[in-house]
Amino acid sequence: MNEPMIEAVDVTKTFGALTALDSVSVTVPRGTVLGLLGHNGAGKTTLVNVLTTMLPPTSGTARVAGLDVVRKAHQVRSRIGLTGQFAAVDEQLSGTDNLVLIARLLGASPREARARAAELMDLFDLADAARRPARTYSGGMRRRLDLAASLVGRPDVIFLDEPTTGLDPTSRLAMWEIVENLVGDGTTVLLTTQYLEEADRLADSITVLSAGRVVASGTAAELKAEVGQRTVTVTLAADAEVPQAMRAMEGAGFQPVHDTERIALTTPVTASRDLAVVVRALDEVGIEAAELALGEPTLDDVYLALAHHSAAA
Amino acid sequence: MTSTLTAEPRTAEPLAGPSTWHGSGLGTQILVLTTRSLRAVVRDPRMIIFSLLQPLIMLLLFSQIFSSIANTPDFPRGVNYIDYLMPAILVNTAMQSALQAGVGLINDMKNGVLARFRSLPIRLGSVLVARSLSDLVRTAIQLLVMLLFATVLFGFSPSGGVLGVLAALALALVVGWGLSWAFLAIATWLRNAEVMQMVGFLAMFPLMFASSAYVPVRGLPGWLQAVANVNPLTHAVDAARNLALSHPVGGGALAAIVTSLVIAAVGAVFAVRGFRRPL
Repeated sequence: MNEPMIEAVDVTKTFGALTALDSVSVTVPRGTVLGLLGHNGAGKTTLVNVLTTMLPPTSGTARVAGLDVVRKAHQVRSRIGLTGQFAAVDEQLSGTDNLVLIARLLGASPREARARAAELMDLFDLADAARRPARTYSGGMRRRLDLAASLVGRPDVIFLDEPTTGLDPTSRLAMWEIVENLVGDGTTVLLTTQYLEEADRLADSITVLSAGRVVASGTAAELKAEVGQRTVTVTLAADAEVPQAMRAMEGAGFQPVHDTERIALTTPVTASRDLAVVVRALDEVGIEAAELALGEPTLDDVYLALAHHSAAA
Repeated sequence: MTSTLTAEPRTAEPLAGPSTWHGSGLGTQILVLTTRSLRAVVRDPRMIIFSLLQPLIMLLLFSQIFSSIANTPDFPRGVNYIDYLMPAILVNTAMQSALQAGVGLINDMKNGVLARFRSLPIRLGSVLVARSLSDLVRTAIQLLVMLLFATVLFGFSPSGGVLGVLAALALALVVGWGLSWAFLAIATWLRNAEVMQMVGFLAMFPLMFASSAYVPVRGLPGWLQAVANVNPLTHAVDAARNLALSHPVGGGALAAIVTSLVIAAVGAVFAVRGFRRPL
């Protein structure tokens, strides 16, 4: 069951003098989610374009569902769904008509196409807006319609290129739930994102791209171990409290660092309950924090940590 | 609108599952895509109305401004200016419509729907064919409306009768369709609607006036006559006019049709090639 559904081997893509992808290799086993993490311009979309047959690689090979993306491009396209950064829907047509159109192009009869469209509109909570032109949809609705459009043919592999960029938190959560349901149904997903949190929640494994190169890959836990995980920052009321607070935290097993500009102590922690441990340790010596903050590692922290590692190596 | 999806777990069936469809036939693709473009026209008829305005204004102005040309010695005897003018307006309108095919394609590229089509197991060529066919239908509707106006309001009634007029209309459609492939080709390379409009205007405006469209070629200054005589549009307009007036057409109509088909073939090759480039 766990044969690779996406397999890129040494994929390089250049545009003139620019190297968008530099010998990138990824493997995604069936029914799992690969999170492709990176800033704008890291090469995420280019890799998606190569894997979805939109762009031929300059060198290297890629197979999706066991089919070569260059030589079997047409067959690959009948096995994949693609949701890009911008909703690829016909603004003039209604939501339903958009889905019917795609089902028909995929080879469904008019009746099958209408049934599938109604099913998906219902499932994606768009039934109320089914007859309205897509141009009247909100951003979140448009994204859902776009995702529905890429699911019409029940694809084996779905590519989601920054599916939640620009969405409000509610719509983002809804999108995450849809992706989780898809994976539950056995679909293989490649998801690109700029948000570590998103990759953390959805991805079985994460590949970090920077300037067209794979700079790290592994599970979310493995990556976080490299990044130095979360931090707790305690802001104190007065400078005089710093040495005592420092000793108290060290006594509780933390390694606080003094930020002289803000009268604050920052320490890496492993779990959110460590926040309580810090508070208790300070309480025992009679110090009350003016401000407490739990810092989640960001993509920048990942990059910083990785840069640090490669500099040390 | 902040509707969310319900969080309850779905049964395996609806979202994923074995795919049963693996692409439609070429005929279905063209039919479905042509219908799509036409539905956009029906949903938003402003496009048709506005694209009718320009030829209607031309019809109104030219029929008034140039009507005295009918009294010049080079003008064919016993022909009303409106009967002389209307076939040229038909050809001109079909050409403007051809330009709109290119603009429509660029809008589809911007719209995002083409990105979707590219990820589907369909032939990209069918997207282009559908575009040209839907614009052919749109142009036919436009030309029929124009004819209606010309007949009712301006007394258009050429000696060729209904058959002659329909033949002229058919010829205008063939010329417009052939030219639409040239504009589709330009569109796939330019990918900018404003530049496209300008290129189209710059190409067509002089072509229309340096031809037999509005005045007889022999009434033009010498150098312009030379241009008009090699201008393919002169021959297309002459052929349409002769059909409408039931004058002898000679090889003119055939030449216009063959030229249009050649333009269509060359345009199609470049259009498909340009279209393959990533968005």
